[in-house]
Amino acid sequence: MSRVRGALAPLSERAPLPDWDASLVALRQRSTGEDLWTLFAERLKAVNGTPLQDVAALVELLDRGGWHHGYCDATIWNEIKSAFPAHFVVETRFDRARVDEYKFGITPADGAIAETGTIILSDARTENRLTALAPWVHVAVVRLEQIHQDVTSAIASLPADPNVVWITGPSKTADVEGILIEGVHGPGIQAALRWR
Amino acid sequence: MSAHQPIDQYAEKLPPDKRASVYLSTKGTHEKRTKLLFDQFADPNRLRHLAGEIKQHVIENLDTYLPQVEAKLQANGVKVHWASNAEEACAAVHGIMQARGATKMVKAKTMVSEEIELAHYLEKRGMEALETDLGEFIVQIDHDHPSHIVRPIIHKNRREIAQSFEREGLGAYNDDPQTITRRAREYLRHKYLSADVGLTGANFVSAESGRLVLVTNEGNSRFCLAATKCHIALIGIEKIVPRDRDLGLLLNLLARSATAQQLTVYTEFISGPKKLPQGEGPEEMHVIFVDNGRTDVLETECRDILRCIRCGACLNVCPVYRQASGHAYRSVYPGPVGAVLSPLLAKEKFSALADLPKASSLCGACNEVCPVNIPIPDLLLRLREKGKSEHAPLASLDTPGMGTWSLLASQPTAWKTALIGGKLLNYVPTTLLPVPALRAWEKQRTLPKWRGGEFRKWLKDHRKK
Amino acid sequence: MATCICDAFFDDVARATVEVLEYLGCAVEFPEAQTCCGQPAFNGGDWAASRKVVRHTVRTFAGELPVVIPSGSCAAMMFHGTLLEFEKEPDLNEVAELSRRSWELGDFIVNALGIKTWPGKYEAKIAFHRSCHTRGTPSGDAAMLLLNSIASLTNVAFGEGEQCCGFGGTFAVSFPHISSNMGTLKLEHVRAAQPDVLVSGDMSCLMHLNGLAEKEGKPIRTQHLAQILRDALKNGGLI
Repeated sequence: MSRVRGALAPLSERAPLPDWDASLVALRQRSTGEDLWTLFAERLKAVNGTPLQDVAALVELLDRGGWHHGYCDATIWNEIKSAFPAHFVVETRFDRARVDEYKFGITPADGAIAETGTIILSDARTENRLTALAPWVHVAVVRLEQIHQDVTSAIASLPADPNVVWITGPSKTADVEGILIEGVHGPGIQAALRWR
Repeated sequence: MSAHQPIDQYAEKLPPDKRASVYLSTKGTHEKRTKLLFDQFADPNRLRHLAGEIKQHVIENLDTYLPQVEAKLQANGVKVHWASNAEEACAAVHGIMQARGATKMVKAKTMVSEEIELAHYLEKRGMEALETDLGEFIVQIDHDHPSHIVRPIIHKNRREIAQSFEREGLGAYNDDPQTITRRAREYLRHKYLSADVGLTGANFVSAESGRLVLVTNEGNSRFCLAATKCHIALIGIEKIVPRDRDLGLLLNLLARSATAQQLTVYTEFISGPKKLPQGEGPEEMHVIFVDNGRTDVLETECRDILRCIRCGACLNVCPVYRQASGHAYRSVYPGPVGAVLSPLLAKEKFSALADLPKASSLCGACNEVCPVNIPIPDLLLRLREKGKSEHAPLASLDTPGMGTWSLLASQPTAWKTALIGGKLLNYVPTTLLPVPALRAWEKQRTLPKWRGGEFRKWLKDHRKK
Repeated sequence: MATCICDAFFDDVARATVEVLEYLGCAVEFPEAQTCCGQPAFNGGDWAASRKVVRHTVRTFAGELPVVIPSGSCAAMMFHGTLLEFEKEPDLNEVAELSRRSWELGDFIVNALGIKTWPGKYEAKIAFHRSCHTRGTPSGDAAMLLLNSIASLTNVAFGEGEQCCGFGGTFAVSFPHISSNMGTLKLEHVRAAQPDVLVSGDMSCLMHLNGLAEKEGKPIRTQHLAQILRDALKNGGLI
């Protein structure tokens, strides 16, 4: 610290902190008045994410992919289990020793960002961080009133939580010859389920 | 004739396929970046300037912000350490691991860890420090070095990678990028789950809330922080932003500038160890603030370089980087930002990298794309002056001496005589003239006819009319 | 200011600059004592040598007249570079005073004189290479505005227009390989657009590019902005 003070001492004046207005980072083609879910779903698709209109669409997605064993948050499971056929094996506790057995994880979101197609997760709403990360499919349950318009408004309402994560599409890399590959360490399918 | 500049020599020897892949991939990212920024924002340049002002404010007020951020982090339950050099930073990490009886670390990508050569330090002491970013993982198994800030293996092709995977027992030869990625996924996820410590950097730290912000695409840093019980973050002291809301501006610029994305896939906001009832994640969290030469930079007129948010946009647009690729810069930070930062961070070894600031036509494209508007060409010029005045041999190599020229150019009569006398050039082959710069010019280009004095003659006649 | 490169090699560019400015009603003075802007030593890191030359330039161009320079690179040295190398010098104010009066030619015509269209005609397909040293200044747009307004002239775009030609002053000789690769790439892009003439506000870029092209045995036609403007006036019978 004394070295930092010493290095700055010769400066006769210091650069001031500019203030700035959030309108500066507003997107040009900003869609206002539109239903935020519609915008969110469109942007999620643009980052190769999968918006799901209802539980039936979720069941169809999992069935089609052959993903029948997974994890679901206990509270959510109570509400949606009636829609799942009997051949699904769904656990409401995640056992890290059997990490590869879970093909999907269904967890409640803490919010979403419409303009970027981003899902927001927090520790408070995620029982176990691995549930949204280790399975090939992650489904975030997004309540409509939680959707923010843009990055600046989502920052303004960051929850007081030790760990908040924004997820924008499936995990991906372009490290090998610039070729896009999805599903690197995290999910290859990133879905969002519309919730009332 | 003396040897050419090292970076030029490196470029000359670079295999054509490597040059082509570096060129195509940097050009592609640069063009997508520009389109995205200008399509989406009314005035992206205003944003760059503003972000630059905010970061300049931070670095000129670090004496206020560092204590502030330390207090915030401590209040959030984070242990804060200070490391003035690489040795201290490595020792701090080692000490934390020893205290926990930890031997296995999984690492997310951090440039600071490259700077301090952390993995080597830990490996020498019998600890495992495994890179988890796909590119960095490949660099590690190949005992290579990253050649781009954001794209560490931009210099490698899939065949080389497939051979490395085969050699390391990660499956029979297969150069399909998807197969390579899946094999890394399977191998690494069990490494995360059995690791004791997760190490990350941070792209930003908010002085207001003490939040660390981490951006990645692969999800590897997320996995480090989901699977281990102890989180260590290595952070350069310049990474601070004043307020949470400034993150709204910087995050909007960072991913667009780096990879032409609106946001990277994972943007994590971390303000402390996990709290119950969260089932996974670090119970203990350490932040190590690393100086390692930064305060020396802060003392100089080149302090603006500390605004850098490591997006790599200046590498992607730089015509010299595109021709030479990253290893030509012989340091952790390549490209235009590296040409400024690396010689400065080298401190007393400045002269060994004194050629880096010369590796630029001063075209200014780096400044034009910089999300924090760093005047890189001006800083390169300042370092050229430093190199020259400190008599670093690499600062003068192959550059014509200016003594005779400055003498001529400050004496109008001598200058006019030289203008007329230059006509000699039209009759004598340059190979016979004692001017190496002219010979070097003519190796690749023709020289136009010398017409010194003609304009002045014309003007006199013109005035009479 | 003629710029030393025009004084030594490209007298017709200096001449065209005078003719264009006179057509616009300017009385052009040419201080005989002028030499160079000081850029080679500045870029080479020898600021002491450069300052010596700049001080000479400051004396030579004393007064209140605007100094117009038919080169983006020399102009940028005058209005930007000099301020950097004099920031700790006692005579910074004199240097800054000249810097405020220094203009690149296109910028001067459009933004000081307020000329937005150019008369006469020029029958050709041209490509315009923006000088890197005027990035972030109004010069590039000013030149484009004037060129695009000339009757019968077609201005074609080419790939990677924002990239440098590889000249860079002493860079051209100290990084010969990279410099010539950059130039060759630029030539490929320019040739693909098939212009009749490659135009720039900087003779140094054109000297480098045409030098490479001639060495390949495939010379290209190059002209300075001032020459296009002057020729358009001539073709239109205006001078």
